[in-house]
Amino acid sequence: MIFSLLDELLIFSAATVLVALILGRGLAVGWMVTILYGGQLLVLIKMAALGYGGDPIASELSLSVMGQDLSWRFDALSWFFALITLVAALLTSWFSCGEWERKFKQQRGNVWLFHLAMALNVFTMLILLASGDLLSLFIGWELVSWAGFLLMAVAGGVATKAAIRYITYAVVGGMSIFGGIALVYAAAGSLQYEAILIAVEKMSTGQLWMLVLLFGSGFGIKMGLLPFHLWQAAAYAETPGPGSAFLGAISSRMGLFAILLVLVKLFGIVNIDSLKIPFTLIDARDLLAWIAVFTIIFPTYTALKQNDARYLLAWHGIGQGGYMLLGLVTANSLGAAGGLLHVLNYAACQAALLMAVFAVMHRTGTADLNKLGGLVARMPLSFLVLLTGIIGLAGLPPMNGFVSKWLVYRSLLEDGMPLLFLGTIIGTLGTILSVYKLIHNMFLGQLRVEHEQVREAPWSMMTPMLILAGTIFVTGLLPGIPLTWVSAALQTIGLTGPEITLGGIESSSGSLDMIWVIGVLFAGFGIGAVIFYSAGPSKRVHQLDNYAGGHFLTADVRYQYSDNFYSGLMHLIRGWYRGSFQWLENSITSLVEFLSLGMQGIYRRANSEFYLLSTALFIIAWVVF
Amino acid sequence: MAPIELFIELTLMPLIAFIVGMMMVLMMRRIAARIQRRIGPPFFQPLYDIVKLHGKRTQVSHGLIHDIGIVMAMGGYIAAETLLPVPGMNGIAEKGGLITLLYLMMIPSLGLALGVGQCANPNGSIGIARALTAMLAYDIPLVIVIFGVAYAAGTTNLVEIIATQQAGGFATWGVVEMPLLAIAGLIAMHASLGKQPFEIYIAPAEIATGPMVEMSGKYLGGLFVMQCFQLYTTSVLYVSLFLGGGTTWFDFLIKSFLVLAIPVSIAYLFPRYRTEDLLRLMWKWPVILGLIGLAFVM
Repeated sequence: MIFSLLDELLIFSAATVLVALILGRGLAVGWMVTILYGGQLLVLIKMAALGYGGDPIASELSLSVMGQDLSWRFDALSWFFALITLVAALLTSWFSCGEWERKFKQQRGNVWLFHLAMALNVFTMLILLASGDLLSLFIGWELVSWAGFLLMAVAGGVATKAAIRYITYAVVGGMSIFGGIALVYAAAGSLQYEAILIAVEKMSTGQLWMLVLLFGSGFGIKMGLLPFHLWQAAAYAETPGPGSAFLGAISSRMGLFAILLVLVKLFGIVNIDSLKIPFTLIDARDLLAWIAVFTIIFPTYTALKQNDARYLLAWHGIGQGGYMLLGLVTANSLGAAGGLLHVLNYAACQAALLMAVFAVMHRTGTADLNKLGGLVARMPLSFLVLLTGIIGLAGLPPMNGFVSKWLVYRSLLEDGMPLLFLGTIIGTLGTILSVYKLIHNMFLGQLRVEHEQVREAPWSMMTPMLILAGTIFVTGLLPGIPLTWVSAALQTIGLTGPEITLGGIESSSGSLDMIWVIGVLFAGFGIGAVIFYSAGPSKRVHQLDNYAGGHFLTADVRYQYSDNFYSGLMHLIRGWYRGSFQWLENSITSLVEFLSLGMQGIYRRANSEFYLLSTALFIIAWVVF
Repeated sequence: MAPIELFIELTLMPLIAFIVGMMMVLMMRRIAARIQRRIGPPFFQPLYDIVKLHGKRTQVSHGLIHDIGIVMAMGGYIAAETLLPVPGMNGIAEKGGLITLLYLMMIPSLGLALGVGQCANPNGSIGIARALTAMLAYDIPLVIVIFGVAYAAGTTNLVEIIATQQAGGFATWGVVEMPLLAIAGLIAMHASLGKQPFEIYIAPAEIATGPMVEMSGKYLGGLFVMQCFQLYTTSVLYVSLFLGGGTTWFDFLIKSFLVLAIPVSIAYLFPRYRTEDLLRLMWKWPVILGLIGLAFVM
């Protein structure tokens, strides 16, 4: 039997899991699995033709279960997501090697379980991405869910609680997807994509609505779409460092992948467009777009309130998912490209940001934004990485996040959707506010006495962080490179990409050329520097040599503004945080508890006469009628 | 376009912006003086100030980011000017467009925020927190306005937006076609300049001039330069969106100075709002105006 490249990749990935499982307690396991991730990435690069519109690669393996054919294959869309997954896995695993691992062991962390969970996550994600029909998609989906649970629960304690909350949501999501699959099977008689594509044309509006809701909410749970977003922040933030960066970068995007595959490719945007909500002007696509915008706004402003750097970023992770979905449901060439490109751009930014935060945590032991400050003097490279990351996350030039968000804005502008556009800008502004709070409270301001001796993060952590920072900049400078892959991926789901140049896009209604924009920006910085530095030398003073309204500052005075950072804003909008989603979750939990208590009561009573009587009555009723 | 021509344009555009910006600072000070029944500074005072500040013997730095922040604050605007078409010169306006310009204009704020943060002074940090809050306040109406104009023009290319207005004459100017958006834009622009009554982040009586608290010598000089650019960029952007840009330098400059004179004249008549009042004001009146104006455009 000759293996295809896809088989090679999956076998390589399975081997990584085995190595982590068997040799996981030995020395240098981190380095070993990192090298193996590198090997997987090499195999993926061998498939690079996919990213430029090559033919799909099928796996030699196919099964037949109960008359259902299961198959696996890679196309441009799978390749694009797999590339992000493997790069994220390689770099986060690299980050975990050496010092981080040693410290994790000292803190009684289970390194073996951690590496195993990581390897399992990567393996299951690849299986999901390779799925060739709805059944293999569902199998991959469930595997990914449980692998994610394992990684989230590694740390124990609070993390386990968060992980259990996650898996509850995931199981509900899984059931809803299963329901959807059952409906599809009933309608199409098969779970093969080709058969479904034909069956969709004949489906009634009611059926299609049901399917959109079932699949949308099932996959949306993984993506953290409103109102299913509550599990995500804690689950991701409490995962051990590199795991958190990995999950944060790519895990939720599996939901987006599945949404693209099922809602966009199989059901088709045109069909979704035709689903009107009675008595309103909106259809299912508008509904999705508005869910996306609220997913941008609410989690972003929840992030603004966080005082823990990890939680702040995790909440942003939910919010950024909204931009991707929004871009993709606009389904015009600019928006779809922007949405999909944002998956890559965001993954690079989020991984870099979380790694920088965990590097600080590694050195100082805390991610509490009220207990840090002034670290730029001690950890300048981490500062640089965090700065690159926040500029990218906030979507400002010259970093990559700007390009993808620009595409989304432009598509909304072209479609004439002012309120959605405004929503995205409100989200972006909220992001700018909260990422400034992040960098200010960690790296700027006054350095604390206890952090005087802090050193820069070790090179085992710094190298992957710098690689990511470089990626963020280069994909911002030359967005044409990833946009080519994005275009190929869009074609597989029946959408078209925009006209691409190396520096951006070409469009009759306004182009973008990042090479020029960044060129003049840096030239501007150059001129600014010339003006500034030609003005003679400046004297470096100690941080306590500072204006304090006539008082003298001493080292024990905390001269740092960090708590309630945006007090003026909060004064106005504090009342708007009502915790409605939390309330909703709580009420559902209570309802389930109440019902289960009722069931328990019936069983515990063990009242046999009652059961006999009711059964007899039921039978009589059945016979009579 | 020949590369050498483009290069000359890219050099000239920021340079002119700087010179005009200094004159705008002068105008602002003269207007303030007239309102307060003073004579005001001489013609070259802004230039003297910049030279003086850069020439100070004692220059206090709080670290590398403090320096870089000032460089970014100046550099961001220098870059932004090349995306802002002026009579006879388009620079690289067609390679970026309106949205890019809007975002490039945030780079100086980011630089300033970083630089101030490194100063380790809570007054400065509070100032930045307020400045960012103010940005959240005025950017929402501003974005509605920008959306309206870009949608009406069918492009984000500023060169085309200006050309359309000039081709159709006064009747097709943004201010005539979209008066509500123009008013909303003017209010948002006023707030974006950070002048009274929206001066929440300087607030000398409360937070010791906020971001400027640790700035002296060339640091303050850098911010002065930034202010020149800011005044120029804001008013020229407004002129380009609503007043048909400039066909000649003469009408271009007259329009720009007149537009700027409105918020500046109002500024010196009013005391300062509190932060939350600024948010409330910005999110109410200009947003309502903007949305109604937008509804007319759609």
